[in-house]
Amino acid sequence: MEFKQSGHLDPALTDPATRTLRTEQLTGRWLNTNPDTQGIAECVIKQDGELFSIDIAGAGPDGPIRWPTCRSTPLANLEEEAGQRVFALSATFEFEFMTAETYIRVNKGVLVIVLFASFRDGSKRSDYVNREFFYRPQPER
Amino acid sequence: MEFAQLCDRVEIDNVSEPLDVSSLAGVWINSNPDTNGIARLEFSDVDGKLSVRVHAIDPDGLIDWGRAPAKLFAASPKSRTTAGFTCTYDFGFAEIRLQAMIMKGLIVLAQFHKFKDNSNRMEFFVREYFAVVHDRY
Repeated sequence: MEFKQSGHLDPALTDPATRTLRTEQLTGRWLNTNPDTQGIAECVIKQDGELFSIDIAGAGPDGPIRWPTCRSTPLANLEEEAGQRVFALSATFEFEFMTAETYIRVNKGVLVIVLFASFRDGSKRSDYVNREFFYRPQPER
Repeated sequence: MEFAQLCDRVEIDNVSEPLDVSSLAGVWINSNPDTNGIARLEFSDVDGKLSVRVHAIDPDGLIDWGRAPAKLFAASPKSRTTAGFTCTYDFGFAEIRLQAMIMKGLIVLAQFHKFKDNSNRMEFFVREYFAVVHDRY
């Protein structure tokens, strides 16, 4: 078996149990912990078989800006958080003027989205990286 | 000007200078001495473009992945200081995407490993921390 680091030989990568990790901790509706965010306001993650769909709304001047839905396969997150075996998602959103490459994971019940934005519209804006945190809104009683 | 979130809506005056890459200069070592993944990152300027050289840990010691061009990111659309990078290594049997951001003087490196062989290994994600090597104290 080919490898480029010892981690590629981790038996967990071929362990069927790894593929059946619980994914509920990722799915659902998530709101930015910062109500005044200038970035991502909301993220909704749904599971459909082995795929996840990710819907993001950016903060806009007149309300949320809906991003195109992105579909992604989960990645096992084997080593982080003292052996917690969880999933992470990698999702790329394509706009005419920009590509937004993200990775999404849950840490202690908080959803973390790290976004790498690349502009291609000649606006001279710098490509940039940003990280934001999200919580699950409590269901209304 | 198009934008997908308010922070993208900024007007930029004439910009001629490249991103300041001094925040990445040098050799960066994994904070975990027992890592079984990437051990060291080294940045260098090649023909005016920044490249990263990765050394990882394998059962026999360090393994050199070689150099890959780094795509640079600032901290905001207006900033001209490098705050992160991405790059990709394609080894044939596996493709490894690196996404990094600098936080509190550390590189936080997210690694996405996708296998393209028939080994039935699951794609996986690792996030590790790297500190720059210095000789100040």
